[in-house]
Amino acid sequence: MIRVSHLQKEFHIHQARAGLAGAFRDLFSREYKTVKAVDDISFTVEEGEMFALIGENGAGKSTTIKMLTGILTPSGGEIVINGYVPYRQREQYVRSIGVVFGQRSQLWWDLSPLESFRLLKNVYKVDDAAGERWLERLIEELDIASFVSQPVRKLSLGQRMRCEVAAALIHKPKLLFLDEPTVGLDVLVKQKIREFLRNLNETEQTTILLTTHDVSDIEALCKRVLVMDKGRLIFDGQLAELKEKWGNGTEVAFQFKKRTAPEELRAALGELPCEILRDNEFSLRVKVVRSQDMLPFVLSVVMGSFEVSDVKIKEASTEDIVRNIYSADGEVVSHG
Amino acid sequence: MQNARHIIGVFADYLGQYFKTRLAYRADFFGDLVSNLIYELINLVFIIVVFQHVPLLKDWTRDEIIFIYGFFLIPYALFSMFFSFWDFNERYIIRGEMDRILTRPLHNLAQVCLESMAPDRIFGVISGLIIMGYAAFKLDLSFHWYDPLVFVVLVIGGALIYAGVYTAIAAISFFSDSRTGIAPMIWNIQQYGRYPVDVYNKVIRFVLTYILPFAFVGVYPAAYFLRKETWYTYAAFTPVMGVIFFGIGLAVWNWGVRKYRGAGS
Repeated sequence: MIRVSHLQKEFHIHQARAGLAGAFRDLFSREYKTVKAVDDISFTVEEGEMFALIGENGAGKSTTIKMLTGILTPSGGEIVINGYVPYRQREQYVRSIGVVFGQRSQLWWDLSPLESFRLLKNVYKVDDAAGERWLERLIEELDIASFVSQPVRKLSLGQRMRCEVAAALIHKPKLLFLDEPTVGLDVLVKQKIREFLRNLNETEQTTILLTTHDVSDIEALCKRVLVMDKGRLIFDGQLAELKEKWGNGTEVAFQFKKRTAPEELRAALGELPCEILRDNEFSLRVKVVRSQDMLPFVLSVVMGSFEVSDVKIKEASTEDIVRNIYSADGEVVSHG
Repeated sequence: MQNARHIIGVFADYLGQYFKTRLAYRADFFGDLVSNLIYELINLVFIIVVFQHVPLLKDWTRDEIIFIYGFFLIPYALFSMFFSFWDFNERYIIRGEMDRILTRPLHNLAQVCLESMAPDRIFGVISGLIIMGYAAFKLDLSFHWYDPLVFVVLVIGGALIYAGVYTAIAAISFFSDSRTGIAPMIWNIQQYGRYPVDVYNKVIRFVLTYILPFAFVGVYPAAYFLRKETWYTYAAFTPVMGVIFFGIGLAVWNWGVRKYRGAGS
């Protein structure tokens, strides 16, 4: 559905000289610096996938999104989405996508969302009965019926954001771009939007691309994650792989009923490659690297051989992982 | 052609929605209506008072000048109703709203107009008509049966001239990275169109006829109704100039959008 190969984007940035004399010289000859905002990225996405594009500010995320949505023309490489080349066939192409910019509104301030929807339906020429049913479904699933007739300026951010999502989907696009859709929203609204998106993806096979700084969005929605850094794609794979690759492993904290020495635990666990840390006489922590295979083993062995009063499992959060990635310098990891 | 029909359809839809919404808040609507009319009336009184003290300008009588002013208000009101994106640079370029515009399948200029439309400006048409009516009554003008039709064509021509110049200027935002617009300059120049051009010196007259042809918005077309035969050719050229200048504005705009999409922000 989306095929991106060797995509590149270069910007020419004007370098201002220092001082008044420099400003004067700038009038006549300007110096430009070429910056590679997106540097040779390739990936493919199948229909119905939900994936996240993450990266620090300035990593090239928004430039990539702008190229994918047809706003910017790439300096090199190729994009084919839904059978269109976005930047060349922009007007036809944008009929097949929906875009939500979290920080920008596409609703008319003075009109109610419902009226904005009607206008947008007119823009997309979807004025039939099927379009009407689809809109009714959007209103119901996003739970916006109670305020959809009020002027947009009277809505709260959370209410408005749900209407924005509906507005982006009015023409039933096959592909939905969400650029930081949950910035500034409270937990309940976030949850509602996520549930809606998951449902949309399941029932309509809508492909969803999400860029976000909110790691919980990714955990709730996406299996696949693309990580960008300094214009390059440094990771493309499953969220679970990302955790194993960049996470610090999983930690299990045991609270024992009797005094237990680390050596006793080590004896019970045998040769298992793990780290045992001692908090105090009654509590020990076991740190394993690969959680999927080892965690059940550790748990069953320890619970079987000792009297345990409490267990806490601390998985490396995606947030930690993202921090790890951002602070480490780009080693390219790519999975088909 | 189909595209144009689509655009007109969307605009009509928006205006319908807008006035429907306004009518729904009845008190609000009548309040605004009254305050707009009072505003225009005060303007009118002010103009008449000012013109009472103005000596005759060349061979134009006072009432003729008032008529020109009244005529000018109508294309100007139409123009400022559809083209009020005076904050284009700030809102669409710096804050990046242009990106969102480009993800919708409707011509981007039409979308920008649609989003920043100020339908209330339509009241300017009413006051223009009142002023013209007053002047026409004083001048005892007579009209042919086809004059209303000519009037509509001339008004649209005038509005298109404004629209073209305005669009071209707004499009400069695509090229320059500075925050300052040159809208204030245009704002000053547009004041000239409302007075007879032969009061100005040759240079200004030339500019107002060929470069920033605001004379075609007020003086030249109004001269037709005042039966000043020397200006008939100019009046006839109003719609032509409208189409040409709007075409130029649109071309500059499209060029700017291409550059925007190439360079990014």
